[in-house]
Amino acid sequence: MMRRAAVGLVGVLLLASCGGGTATPSGNPATATVAAPKPDIKIGLATAKSGAANFYNPQQSNGAALAVDQINTAGGIAGAKLQLIVEDDGSVRDQGITAFRKFIEQDKVVAILGPTLSAVAAGAHPVAQAGGVPVIAISNTGLGIVGKCDYGPCDWIFRASLGEQSAVPETVKAATQKLGLKKVVIIYGDGKFELDDLTIFKEAFKANNVTVSKEIAYTAKDVDFAPFVTQAKGENPDAVVASSLAGPAGKILDEMAKQMPGKRVIGGNGLNSAALLPNANAGLIVVGTAWSKASTDKTNTDFVAAYKTKFGVDPDQFAAQSYTAMIVLADALKRSGNATDRAAVKKALEGVSSLATPLGPFSFTTDHDVKQPTFVMTVKDGQFTPFQ
Amino acid sequence: MDALFDFLRTYSTTIAVIGVSALLALSVWVTLYAGQLTLGNAAFMAVGAYVAALLGRHLDAPFPLALLIGAFAAALLALPLGAIVFRLRGVYLAIATLAFGEIVRVILLATPITGKGQGLNGIPPTTELWHIYLSLLIVAYVLWRVQGSTIGRAWAAIREDEIASASQGIAVGQHKLAAFVIGALIAGWAGGLSAHVTFSIDPSDFGFTKAVQVLVFAVVGGVPNVLGPILGAGLLTALPEVLRPLRDYRDIFQGAILLLVIIYLPRGLVTFVDVRRTRRLSRIGAVDVA
Amino acid sequence: MAEQLYNAVFIGSIYALFALGFALVFSVLDILNLAHPTVFMLGAFVALFAIGTLGLPWFVALAIAVLVTGLFGIVLDRVAFAPLRRRGAPALSSMISSLAVSLIVVRLVELRYGGDFITFPAGAVPAFVLRVGDATLEGIRLAIVVLSVALMVGLTYVLRRTQLGRDLRALAENPRAARLLGVDVDRAIAATFFVSSALGGLAGVLLAFAYNTLDSRMGVPLELRAFTVMVVGGMGSLPGAVIGAYILGFGEVASLVYLPTELRDAFAFGLLFLVLVVRPTGLLGQKSPDRV
Repeated sequence: MMRRAAVGLVGVLLLASCGGGTATPSGNPATATVAAPKPDIKIGLATAKSGAANFYNPQQSNGAALAVDQINTAGGIAGAKLQLIVEDDGSVRDQGITAFRKFIEQDKVVAILGPTLSAVAAGAHPVAQAGGVPVIAISNTGLGIVGKCDYGPCDWIFRASLGEQSAVPETVKAATQKLGLKKVVIIYGDGKFELDDLTIFKEAFKANNVTVSKEIAYTAKDVDFAPFVTQAKGENPDAVVASSLAGPAGKILDEMAKQMPGKRVIGGNGLNSAALLPNANAGLIVVGTAWSKASTDKTNTDFVAAYKTKFGVDPDQFAAQSYTAMIVLADALKRSGNATDRAAVKKALEGVSSLATPLGPFSFTTDHDVKQPTFVMTVKDGQFTPFQ
Repeated sequence: MDALFDFLRTYSTTIAVIGVSALLALSVWVTLYAGQLTLGNAAFMAVGAYVAALLGRHLDAPFPLALLIGAFAAALLALPLGAIVFRLRGVYLAIATLAFGEIVRVILLATPITGKGQGLNGIPPTTELWHIYLSLLIVAYVLWRVQGSTIGRAWAAIREDEIASASQGIAVGQHKLAAFVIGALIAGWAGGLSAHVTFSIDPSDFGFTKAVQVLVFAVVGGVPNVLGPILGAGLLTALPEVLRPLRDYRDIFQGAILLLVIIYLPRGLVTFVDVRRTRRLSRIGAVDVA
Repeated sequence: MAEQLYNAVFIGSIYALFALGFALVFSVLDILNLAHPTVFMLGAFVALFAIGTLGLPWFVALAIAVLVTGLFGIVLDRVAFAPLRRRGAPALSSMISSLAVSLIVVRLVELRYGGDFITFPAGAVPAFVLRVGDATLEGIRLAIVVLSVALMVGLTYVLRRTQLGRDLRALAENPRAARLLGVDVDRAIAATFFVSSALGGLAGVLLAFAYNTLDSRMGVPLELRAFTVMVVGGMGSLPGAVIGAYILGFGEVASLVYLPTELRDAFAFGLLFLVLVVRPTGLLGQKSPDRV
């Protein structure tokens, strides 16, 4: 029996090693160039390769890896090559913290990108802040990431991902004008991201004189969304807001199409997901995004083409954001004078101004938050397209 | 030497989490040793964590005092709960304590002062490694002594046969309740310590997954003595870090290792460490739990 | 109101369909199979593979998924439960070994399909619509409602009236005695796992069809609900599980309509806790529960 179980296990493991159909990002693209005159400049990327948020990968690592390749091919930073070290944060706080500590203590990186989730960032960012290492957040959109943070000063933290505080008001403004909203209902989840969104949406509607007549909570364990939409329908709103992640949003869209045909679903960054594109009712979406694949800006078209050539698939917003963060970092490294001095790099990051990126002209605010255009989008023919 | 310090600094969170996990595993060990399968310890941990963090934040309570009040709050909650649920046994008891855990989680999600789903952020990292490991040492030593005492023998007797124990004059209900409350006390203490390690807590840290995880620590480690849960917690908490180089295949190897351990050492890792003694014990049926 | 009632019936049916297989293994073997949510998910992904990669029609995919998950149930038993049974390991161990198998299977699915939710290819999912007056009923939802009751009746019949059922009940009472009475215990256990997992797989495919979405963790939210349903209905009773499922479904929708929105989730667990304390045998519990 022992042997049989062991054979079975080996079989399972073998299966595992054939099962991988995903592209593995190259961990250290620069290691091949042995004769580099200067030591490599190390940059850490903590990202959710496993755990609840693992679907942000491989896109998130691919975006950064592509940027590093391009920068190194173009001669690196003053003769030194960039070396990207990718660590899994497991979508949980303690692994994220350990990944950050490893970058800081063992790898001695000059800057860190990540981690994927805001809840993990709440643990990992204070570590970098205490260690004096610049961080660029590439997918945290919630409150308290930069500017005013719960753990005290957070001046070493920068954010390249458009926060909901910026995106949601733009979305609400556009939706109010074009749909003539008077009354809406918000359906929201009970996680950190959804609750942040709820707060921001309520303020934005207030600013636009739109009544939020009902707030309906669902939990992470709800399977069917029909009862929530039925409750919303009772209020006869002009539109429904889904303060949710993409999974529940898909079900809300389907129920809306059935129960309240013609009414739109306004959402936060959770609805800005490629996984929703195949949904037959995705046309109902109104969402503010940080990136538009359709943007005809040359920096963006070049990025989309290069990404597709290298990885064989179209990039998504998470790829665009991690790519952008790396371009922004490289720009700062070049201007810092000393690319191994973390304080100099931080100072140079603060000076990033109207840099051409796939997200549009990119600057940091005095709070170290991203300043970039918001794209208010809907879905047409399976693609995000500008909301008219 | 520098390399050692680098290592310690890098993995200090992992080392801290291992210690906290070991404390939690011991908290569930107490009830397991008395033959009771409970899954409420993640909730007790939550009570300890939230109470300690809130006392520190709003009342500037000194750290040890905050921890202590957190732990006693958990124990105080365990007292009436235990009195109600210990009419149940086996899977029923497990599910009842699990339901309690979910109720605590829902209350945390609905209460403004606990930060609802956003949790509490920016908790000062007051916990030092020695706080955790000194606690672990004391708890392990006390439990080890208790195991050999009259109470410990009563727990073992209840585990083997409740009715026979009662007929021999053991106060079954009180002993089971004592195990439950002691477990809650340890879990609450561990929760307070852990809240001050990772800067931030939210209700999803203390859900079903955590409850099962803590139980897995204790069972994989083994219940015959206090070394088991510590060993199980240490191995299973360190594993994700050790397996980091495997990247995408990490979960698969973790699952495979867990499966192999539980199949080939179903009574836990300590039976491997201490094979001969355990064999003798298992012949007389002393290590059967749940 | 009528709409919410219909919603509640549908939700109850989903819970029932999921809980049936879970309850079957528990009633016969006293095992909480924590891999059941994984089997449920596997069914949906096997159907996706059959439709998306092999290009088969949905009903063939459904049949394949049910068969594959059924067989997987037997493998699961051989890998995770049988070795422990043979060694007389504590019941707890089997919960952990089933968790370990889940960890592996979930990751394997993620390596092939990623962790985000995905949909079936356009037009691949059956979309019958029935019109009754001005209300529309979707075929797939109707099928879920009908099947959850039909399967409960069918399974209860098998357990009560057939030789296999008698074998299983003997096994549930006392495995050693069953063996002495000439019951082929290994076959009976294999049959239990086959049927339980096939039911889990069927539930997974139907739910994935109904929502046209599937992901590697789709079974997780149903796990705790299944516990609730089983306890409320009475551990080990299949009709009890179905009745418990409808009580939970109606209770959840009613608390959405009538309770403050944030405390809604407390309903399920409050109910569970209450039933355990007041009436641990549940509504239809036949075996006296393990109670002092």
